[in-house]
Amino acid sequence: MTEVIFVQDGQLSRSIEVQSGEKAEMILLVLPGVSCDIKLDVRLAGEGSEANIYGAYVCGGQERVKIAVDMHHDLPHCNSRQLFKGIAGGTSKVDFYGKIIVAKDAQRTEAYQENHNILLTDGAKVDTKPQLEIYADDVKCSHGATIGRLNEEEQFYMRSRGITLEDAKVLQMISFIAPVLENIEDEAERELVVAQFESSIRNLAR
Amino acid sequence: MANDILLKIEGLRASVEDKEILKGVDLVIRKGEIHAVMGPNGAGKSTLSAVLAGKPQFTVTAGSIEFLGQDLLAMSPEERAWAGIFLSFQYPVEIPGVTITNFMKTAVNAHRAGKGLEPLKAGDFLKLMREKMAFVQMKPEFAKREVNVGFSGGEKKRNEIFQMAMLDPTLAILDETDSGLDVDALRIVANGVNALHTPEKAAIVITHYQRLLDYIVPDVVHVLKDGKIVKTAGKELVAEIEEKGYDNL
Repeated sequence: MTEVIFVQDGQLSRSIEVQSGEKAEMILLVLPGVSCDIKLDVRLAGEGSEANIYGAYVCGGQERVKIAVDMHHDLPHCNSRQLFKGIAGGTSKVDFYGKIIVAKDAQRTEAYQENHNILLTDGAKVDTKPQLEIYADDVKCSHGATIGRLNEEEQFYMRSRGITLEDAKVLQMISFIAPVLENIEDEAERELVVAQFESSIRNLAR
Repeated sequence: MANDILLKIEGLRASVEDKEILKGVDLVIRKGEIHAVMGPNGAGKSTLSAVLAGKPQFTVTAGSIEFLGQDLLAMSPEERAWAGIFLSFQYPVEIPGVTITNFMKTAVNAHRAGKGLEPLKAGDFLKLMREKMAFVQMKPEFAKREVNVGFSGGEKKRNEIFQMAMLDPTLAILDETDSGLDVDALRIVANGVNALHTPEKAAIVITHYQRLLDYIVPDVVHVLKDGKIVKTAGKELVAEIEEKGYDNL
């Protein structure tokens, strides 16, 4: 079962060990106004185990959001996927640090990590540091990080159809973080979370 | 008759990044008319359409545009859309993550809000979608696809005409709608445009070639060259251009 965590102000440290044949799945959600320091240490400690970690953060003021993930692949045939997507406005600052460590014995590992960000203002700042440490030779690993802005060509296209600039931005931002939120399995819960993000995103679009 | 005038452009000059593209354009379009704007590459055809739709990257440095008596240049792109202007893009923009249904629902309800109307009921909206999709021969799955993402050239242009049908504009501007289309797609698109045309509406068809104008027959043909309209005549001008080329006009 996927664990959905609304991160609160302050520190959040978690160590997770995933045993053979098990699967850990976690979704971290950071809404505007929350400053936090998240440390995750995930260990794929049994053969054939799996971990999926997702995160969405939206900052519009002076928030400081720090996220650090260590993903340890100790044994063969384990899979991990990380997807973190966020929006930084105001004078907020986001630090993302993610490391995948694949031990020598962890052959046939599949490990992916992505961190994508949108900057809304010149005052906001994002630092992202994806890292790979691979000691095995038969693995599929990748990581990717981007920092971009809302696409103005898309905005003009939408506005030319009568969609207001504010609505255009909301559509862009919601669709940007949707790939994280769609991992919430329970439909009612997902709809609630999407609505919460939509209303806080609308405030940022104004 | 003055009250037949939909669009009146006078002495329009526009630039992008300090480079002047339009150098004094005058154009009057009346209800019921289809105007073709032809011209060589780089003449300013696409700039004219972008300025009419209000693209922020273009700066109007002189002149005026009146649409149904309103000062178009004072309006935002969305206000122009609500007033009845529609631009079919030469290169329709891909919007990942936004489905056609969500996109059109937002657009249709924004138009309604602009006119002080309540949002369309879900059932009525879906009925309208189905009807207009059939109009451009789009399959039902089309509604669930992300806007223009992975669309073929023909699908993108049919999507433009679908949106036009949904929004029912008074003035349609078709910017190089024929580019990248095979004959079948061209026919679907042209039939769509013709079917939507009424004596109360007008269209500007911007094109480099004669091809599209075999299907959408213009009342008036303009040649735009180096940012100015250098010749205006009836539809016979199309054949003359095809024969002589733009250089010998």
